[in-house]
Amino acid sequence: MAIREIRIQGDSVLEKKCKEVKEVTPRIRELIDDMLETMYEENGVGLAAPQVGILKRIVVIDIGDGPYVLINPVIELKEGSQTGYEGCLSLPGKSGLVTRPMHVRVRAMDEDMEEFVLEGEELLARAICHECDHLDGIMYTSLVEGELYDNEELYQNEDNE
Amino acid sequence: MTKPVNTREIILGILWEITEEERYSHVVIRETLEKYQYLEKRDRAFISRVAEGTMENLIQIDYILEQFSSVKVKDMKPFIRNLLRMSVYQLKYMDSVPDSAVCNEAVKLAQKKGFYTLKNFVNGVLRNTARKLDQVAYPDKEKTPRKYLSVTYSMPEWILKKWLAQFDFDTVETICQTMRKESPTCIRCNLSKASKEEIIQSLEAQHITVKEVPYLDYALEISDYNYLQAIDAFKDGWFQVQDVSSMLVAEVADPKWGNYCIDVCAAPGGKSLHLSDKLAGSGYVEARDLTDYKVELMRENLERTKRINMEAVKQDATVFDENSVEKADILLADLPCSGLGVMGRKPDIRYKMTEAKQQELVKIQRKILDTVWSYVKVGGTLIYSTCTIGADENQYNVKWFLDNYPFQLDSMDPYICEELRSKTTKAGYLQLLPGVHSSDGFFIARFKRIR
Repeated sequence: MAIREIRIQGDSVLEKKCKEVKEVTPRIRELIDDMLETMYEENGVGLAAPQVGILKRIVVIDIGDGPYVLINPVIELKEGSQTGYEGCLSLPGKSGLVTRPMHVRVRAMDEDMEEFVLEGEELLARAICHECDHLDGIMYTSLVEGELYDNEELYQNEDNE
Repeated sequence: MTKPVNTREIILGILWEITEEERYSHVVIRETLEKYQYLEKRDRAFISRVAEGTMENLIQIDYILEQFSSVKVKDMKPFIRNLLRMSVYQLKYMDSVPDSAVCNEAVKLAQKKGFYTLKNFVNGVLRNTARKLDQVAYPDKEKTPRKYLSVTYSMPEWILKKWLAQFDFDTVETICQTMRKESPTCIRCNLSKASKEEIIQSLEAQHITVKEVPYLDYALEISDYNYLQAIDAFKDGWFQVQDVSSMLVAEVADPKWGNYCIDVCAAPGGKSLHLSDKLAGSGYVEARDLTDYKVELMRENLERTKRINMEAVKQDATVFDENSVEKADILLADLPCSGLGVMGRKPDIRYKMTEAKQQELVKIQRKILDTVWSYVKVGGTLIYSTCTIGADENQYNVKWFLDNYPFQLDSMDPYICEELRSKTTKAGYLQLLPGVHSSDGFFIARFKRIR
């Protein structure tokens, strides 16, 4: 396993549409393992393959209760809404307010190309949407309401209140 | 995706304020959650669970840490100490968090805060703890009963020493056990505003769970609500949040039509309001307290419940007030105390209180009693109460008061239910113990002025 370099906003690879995965080859398994390790190392809760420069429809997510690996994910259902701060490993140290569905249902393949369905609320729903957007070249910054904050600034604002 | 704030860092901030700055956990946790309102429910739940859990189990956690750390807990840097404490709490009490995540997050936080040199120490202690947690040898119940209670229930030994001198081992263990359980919210129906049935109906219409409580038929337990302020029956002044033990004060005071009552340390005013209820618009209740803030707090309550026979007044109970002499039919002296009876609601009282502070409180209690006793009419009633457990602030004060002032104990049996009656209630006082009784820990003594 290895830690891969995370592409930063401005890199054109983050603006492209990713291709479907047809088969899980040993190289793809290695990619998934590396993505997980990279996400954990960087304190992320989710990472999409284009963020490490690979244009394939693969995302990994771990919001604290164990990892999910989603290959060729398709969001089938979005319900409700939540507005909250999120950030992205491709734009370190920043965050902004984004409105996302409260509940989503996503259909995807696992590492053995078996289809499964995952339902998520709150943070998991937010992470699923955020990562799936990456696969279509969308950064959360295009969805931010109001300003983009420095995380340090966000802490400080709170402290001054 | 990333989260803009690290929940574990927030928890560390909370623990720092509680353990290093002497602030109360329930206040710090509430303030922090208000500050980070945009956090998701799940993060908020995690923050309060870990912060509260760590504080509730502090002595036990420190005991575990000392099995695996070469450095004594008290000699650690405060940041590292609290980091290790909250991590051990997660290892021992939260199965939903993988051990590896606990260790990794702790190491990253240590690094982030500039403790590079202690990274290996944190990692070593926590990995060792995670691996050998099941093999920790805890103090033996038979051989070292006090140490056993202290580590099992995270209760300081000085408190246990006093309790074990006064109660048998099983009683003390029951008290400790009960204080670990979540204390429910208890309310007093304001029967002058609505009947109990109407109040229950109104609560249930808002999907609040209501349960009956022993000892008093107008006391209820409520759960499954978010904010008190959103409850209609509360907004209308139909009930007051008050533990059943504290309701017994007005019950035992037994005010008669037209009585003049003085409550010398009244804020937030629950017992005074109760007296005022019982007087049904007659008589008068003077609810006194020390500061403008406390008096304002009571005025808000008065406003909400629309009283005509009660007033909130700023008056220091340790300063003699000539105008009050022999004025009161009933005087409530519910005095500042160590609060060991309500540790179930405020877990960190036990770590903040010390024997020396307790002795200071006894002095204040005696000073107040010495100042206010003469406000009671001859033949009138003085009720002394505290929300603590233990002879120093309770039984010894009763004896001291009887020895020095023209009062005698007066049986409280006519005013309490059969279940609560005992030799001491017949004599005139009652020590309520959590677990033994279905209430907070509380003490009440009823005196009558004889000269």
